[in-house]
Amino acid sequence: MNFYKKWFWPLVMPSLLLFTMVILYPFIMGVVNSFLAWRGTYYFDPDTGTRATSMFNSFVGFDNYKEAFQDTRFISALVYTIKYTFIAVIFVNIVALALALMVTKITKSSGLYRTVFFLPNMLGGLALGFIWQFVFQIIFTDILFSPDALYLPFLRYMTQDSNKALFALAMLSTWQYAGYMMIIYVAGLNNISSDYYEAASIDGSSYWHSFRKITIPMLMPSFTIVFFMTIANSFKLLDQNVALTDGEFGTRLLAMQILRTVKDTTPPNYGKAQAQAVIFFILVSVITLTQVTITKKKELEM
Amino acid sequence: MKELTVVTSKSMNANYFLKKRLQMIGLYVVLTLIALYTLAPLWLLLVNSFKDQSEIISSPLGLPSGFTLSYLTNAVKEIHFFKALLVTASITSISVLLIVVVSSMAAWMMVRNKGTASYVVFMCFVAAMLIPFQAVMYPLIQFFDDIRLKSATGLILMYGGFGLSMSVFLYHGFVKGVPRGVEEAATIDGCNIFQMYLYVVMPLLKSITVTVIVLNSMWIWNDYLLPFLVIGNSSTKTLVLELYFARITAGQFGNPWQLIFPAVLISIIPIIIVYLFLQKYIVKGISDGAIKS
Repeated sequence: MNFYKKWFWPLVMPSLLLFTMVILYPFIMGVVNSFLAWRGTYYFDPDTGTRATSMFNSFVGFDNYKEAFQDTRFISALVYTIKYTFIAVIFVNIVALALALMVTKITKSSGLYRTVFFLPNMLGGLALGFIWQFVFQIIFTDILFSPDALYLPFLRYMTQDSNKALFALAMLSTWQYAGYMMIIYVAGLNNISSDYYEAASIDGSSYWHSFRKITIPMLMPSFTIVFFMTIANSFKLLDQNVALTDGEFGTRLLAMQILRTVKDTTPPNYGKAQAQAVIFFILVSVITLTQVTITKKKELEM
Repeated sequence: MKELTVVTSKSMNANYFLKKRLQMIGLYVVLTLIALYTLAPLWLLLVNSFKDQSEIISSPLGLPSGFTLSYLTNAVKEIHFFKALLVTASITSISVLLIVVVSSMAAWMMVRNKGTASYVVFMCFVAAMLIPFQAVMYPLIQFFDDIRLKSATGLILMYGGFGLSMSVFLYHGFVKGVPRGVEEAATIDGCNIFQMYLYVVMPLLKSITVTVIVLNSMWIWNDYLLPFLVIGNSSTKTLVLELYFARITAGQFGNPWQLIFPAVLISIIPIIIVYLFLQKYIVKGISDGAIKS
């Protein structure tokens, strides 16, 4: 209709303008800057050793990327992030699915349990990180798992060791995000018609058999969403990392590494930070797109 | 013989129901334990907001030995609670309003106009969902500094931009299911485009609007990094920033728990209250959002 055509650009323009200002232009500049000796407020000219007169004199090719890959902090943050994502995705998904199966099974006060499990999601990662820091440093270390009580050395001083902190961070994220993912799994479970289960039980199918042959395949669309969200969230995790260990003891995740690179270097090397950010973008896109393609394919096969 | 069969089937039935009942009880026990585990950190937060540093360390789990509001009032002062609350609430609500209006208009027009331009613009928004914040943050801050918008106003515009992609996507999916008929009838009645948007389209988009509001307010309210980069340690800070800087300044020599606990407690009270009142909409918003995408 002509009516809609006339109004298309006027009504789409505000969103396009915001999009260009906040995402498109900074994104393009980000990619460009990752090839320049960018110092944040000015461009550095590597030939003359002074401020560049135009940003084109500041071109350094792939030097920022080379520097990034030679930086042990960046490499260790990269490895740490991959390890963390792996552990967190498994933890969060198992707990969320178990919670969803349980709350859909019970008949009374199911809503109350859902409300409680979802609650931690409403609170910010920073505030929660502070509370959990106390849990790990005082409650776990001095009370629950001290030599006088249930002595479990692994669960003591968890925020002061790179490997233990990985699990501490995963415990915190599971506590926080499992309720959210549970909601998505519950929506998926409610979409499965009870006819399938009735037919299966008449045929003498056991609970586990029905779970494997009916629940899992029918839940595939939910798996796609939940895996996408948990992988993306874990890769980009920052607030909890800042609050729990602040990157001490080799516990920096990539998001924090990019943020702190400009503090690690004098003068602040924004070009190198930006190169890390571009690598980060490529990594996140490749991993999430691969995951979505794989799980979507599984949806069709089942 | 006949009697016997009846008896066995009865006892088998009883057995079956007993087993089911025990299973159900077991489920409730497990769920209650997990619920207690979920609430435990909040219990810590509550009881330790009324203790001094040494009592917090020596008996963190128990009830406070005396009742005093001094730690809470001190925290209210330290984090400039009422001002920060006002700042956070204004930034969140204006940003969300901006996102709702801008993205619903855009998505509506994109669905009603099927052409290359409309498709390309939509795909740009969808593709942008893959860009992590870290990839754009430094140039973004630099750009907003250059155009003199490194301020609370700029922050609202940035939230508008970051919230758009997902919201346009959600609205786009929803508008497709809204029939044109009503809108056509409205044009015949002499409605102009803005009346149509306000009185015809928006009421039909109510349920997806709830989802958009919930998803966006949750992250904007609790966001740490963007306000940190844009506002930093200035006089108008959001609640999360106040909390961060209070912790940093007081915590140079160890952890000032007697400030952190009450400060975290008062900063989360507003959200808990909102959650308890609106939890039905919030949970529905989340699960609708997940199904739509």
